[in-house]
Amino acid sequence: MSQFLIRRLILLLPVIFGITFVTFALARILPGDPCYAILGEKATPEQCNAFREREGLNDPILVQFGRYLGDITRGNFGESLKDSRPVTQIMLERLPMTLEVTLGAMLFSTTFGILLGIISAVRRNTAVDVGTMLGANIGVSMPVFWLGLMLAYVFAIMLKETPFWIPPSGRLSSGLSIPPLAETYNLQNLSGLWGAIVTFASNTVTFNALITGNFEVLRDALWHLILPCVAVGTIPLSIIARMTRSSLLEVLGLDYIRTARAKGLIERAVIFKHAMRNAMLPIVTIIGLSFGGLLSGAVLTETVFALPGVGTQLVSAIFSRDYSVVQAFTVVIALIFVFVNLIVDLSYVFLDPRIRL
Amino acid sequence: MKRNLFALISLLALTSMLLAACGPAATEAPAATEEPAPTEAPATEAPAATEAPATEAPSDFAGDKVESPDCDYGGEFKSIEAVDQYTVKFSLCYPDPAFLSKVAFAAFSIQDADYLNETGGDSATLSEAPNGTGPYKVAEWVRGDHITFEANPDFWGEAPTIDTLIFRWSSEASARLLELQSGTADGIFLPSEDDYETIEGDPSLALYPYETGNIFYIGMANTIPPFDNDQVRQAVAMAINKQQIVDNFYPAGSAVAEQFVPPSFSPGFSTEGDGATWYEYDPEAVKALLAEAGFPDGFDVNLSYRDVVRVYLPNVNQVAQEIQAQLAEIGINVTINKMESGPFLESAAAGNEALYLLGWGMDYPDATNFYDFHFASNAMRFGNEWPDLVDEIKAAAQLGDPAERQVHYDNVNALIKEHVPMIPVAHGTTANAMKAEVGNVVMGPLNENFEQMTTDSGQLVWVQSAEPINLYCGDETDGETLRACEQIYDSLLGYEFGGVAPVPALAESWEPNADATEWTFTLRQGVTFHNGATFDANDVVATYAGLWDASNPNHKGNTGVFEYFTGFFSQFLNAPPEATPTP
Repeated sequence: MSQFLIRRLILLLPVIFGITFVTFALARILPGDPCYAILGEKATPEQCNAFREREGLNDPILVQFGRYLGDITRGNFGESLKDSRPVTQIMLERLPMTLEVTLGAMLFSTTFGILLGIISAVRRNTAVDVGTMLGANIGVSMPVFWLGLMLAYVFAIMLKETPFWIPPSGRLSSGLSIPPLAETYNLQNLSGLWGAIVTFASNTVTFNALITGNFEVLRDALWHLILPCVAVGTIPLSIIARMTRSSLLEVLGLDYIRTARAKGLIERAVIFKHAMRNAMLPIVTIIGLSFGGLLSGAVLTETVFALPGVGTQLVSAIFSRDYSVVQAFTVVIALIFVFVNLIVDLSYVFLDPRIRL
Repeated sequence: MKRNLFALISLLALTSMLLAACGPAATEAPAATEEPAPTEAPATEAPAATEAPATEAPSDFAGDKVESPDCDYGGEFKSIEAVDQYTVKFSLCYPDPAFLSKVAFAAFSIQDADYLNETGGDSATLSEAPNGTGPYKVAEWVRGDHITFEANPDFWGEAPTIDTLIFRWSSEASARLLELQSGTADGIFLPSEDDYETIEGDPSLALYPYETGNIFYIGMANTIPPFDNDQVRQAVAMAINKQQIVDNFYPAGSAVAEQFVPPSFSPGFSTEGDGATWYEYDPEAVKALLAEAGFPDGFDVNLSYRDVVRVYLPNVNQVAQEIQAQLAEIGINVTINKMESGPFLESAAAGNEALYLLGWGMDYPDATNFYDFHFASNAMRFGNEWPDLVDEIKAAAQLGDPAERQVHYDNVNALIKEHVPMIPVAHGTTANAMKAEVGNVVMGPLNENFEQMTTDSGQLVWVQSAEPINLYCGDETDGETLRACEQIYDSLLGYEFGGVAPVPALAESWEPNADATEWTFTLRQGVTFHNGATFDANDVVATYAGLWDASNPNHKGNTGVFEYFTGFFSQFLNAPPEATPTP
């Protein structure tokens, strides 16, 4: 187990290098000039040249790549070309929102996906099963941005002035805000890693509101998360439901289940204690993969719901050819994806004691 | 296998370290400190700025002055001087009748001298705690999400009627409209043209169209055959059915362009004379003209453009196809050439595009912003410049009297019609949308009157299309950023709400000399910055010195380019030697 862990962590090095190289190259292959994207279309050639010189964009690509590698090995992702702010700071502002939506969507899709899959498998070939799977097929076919706009239209416009109204965008209602944790707990002097952790926790509004007991903000933040989480979680929900159904049906046909039933176990115990444990392996794999999909889906969801997360920042950075932001955000998203898959691999051991890593 | 794996990893790690060690910027300070130090400006090549107390200042006030020894450096300013505590004099190297329109721009908003010195003119630092004199203070900026402004109780003007102004943003017009319809926003910037009908049909919403001061034109380079032939350019000018283009591809309220400047530009727009109206659409006359020019069967040509939506050209692809179809009717076989924005702009500016679609939105409301840049700036965008046209444009730019300027602009418009460097096609309009219950709304090309609007709650939520880049606008060009700055800061002058005329702001009055080379501003007294500091003439000098003088410690900004300053006033004082790109 520990050897497996060390091996996987070491393997991360070439993965990170590969991601960094590809991202760096892709950012520069993109058509368009950061000068015109950042200074505006009326920038003169002289102004552009001064800008490129200042930002080191006139250097040969290999020199730029070497400089970039050197910086990130020291944990420095550089500064945004657009507003000259440290990319790490931008990351600490944006990542919490994306993780909140992603985790919320995972919670929604996993809970309801597994539940619907079980109901469908247990009531196989009934109207409930057909209805559930039809719903799952529709769910998996709907584009996130379309579903997002439809949800917003129904809940924010059609149900306006009813108790079912849900805000279509933003993180908190206008006029509401929450003080940073550093201010609440007098931690302004913290810097470095601890400072970053506190900033990250502070910007995770639900967490901040929960630990500071600000339940008005917590309720409002969760209220604002409903539509994005449902929009982004619907496709994984459908996939998980279908996977749960097929996996459970396969297990329910095995001999040990028949034995369990023959021994007189109640059906609930057969399903949850005996069948689900074996059926969970492919479901967990799908959940892990869906997590990556949710992160990449953030680009669309955050744009539709105007959320201040990684997705909207990445889109903005791509349009303004803000290389340092594009590179850093892509690398971090890729790393999160890799770590989630590592956790999925490790979870196999706990789900199936026969597996040795 | 394991051995191979470790060998690979070691090699990668070593390579990374080697590259890192070789990277020249690896140990450099952050980009912001990479600006050339003031002492790096070559003393022999650039005039040194001198700061000395003004001689006329009262004993208890030491007025600052920044000046260039001469005008050889190529910029517009000769000196800026605090004559007394509430009087500032700008001396210019050449007459500038548009000076008032320029100094009213948000990029030249006035900073507190002491605060500017403390922050070193760094955009990021100034953004953390902006300190202006404007109607609003920044209460909170949650990056990525919103900015909350609260009314400035010490504002020198009328107290804002909106106590809390909140700016949010969404890049998608449909998402902005959703916010307005759902009631989470009180106003939105630039709804999609397709949604105008929806907004106008909803009694709870109101649409506010406005002109933005722009022109969409079809450019031609007189150095590329067959457009080197005057008759060919005139023929193409008569072949374009502009009314059809405006009717089909522009929102209501847009207008067919008769001249290069919009009708609201006075002086600039001709109401009489040869240049008052453009050529009539006349396909039959076109064929005769083309035959006379030696092209009875037409010719082949590329029509270049970029696929970028602008107010002056909201449906670029459709308009390109329409022009292709219209020219085909007179035998001109057009091949559409869609290009990337950056390369297209560079190519058009260099005169490499024979026929192309482009436009212009005003930076400041004066005809010089249209004519000088396009027809008298030694640029090649229409090929070689026409000396008679250049002379008239320059003559108009030397005069302070509007009537005298208009005489020259009448000649300019007539000459443009004669030479046909381009075909003016349309002046596009745009619109913002608000909740119908928001009162006293005025939208214009240069600002919105948020501080005068009314809502029941005293709070107004405005959703624009992007987050401000930062809250120090001296080195910004982005409209969404400038809008935020307008709430916090004031310039010497402002623009009237809904219009383009300069109106008093921090300067109560002004006086030019006879040839418009000296402008003396009398400043408003009793104005305080948000931090309580008193506004005086030295704040004006310090603000402009930071923008103008490249060796000034406060000349830092965000990108360091200060594009609007050089765009409006030409060259920096003590500009560093131009960098040459690495081959």
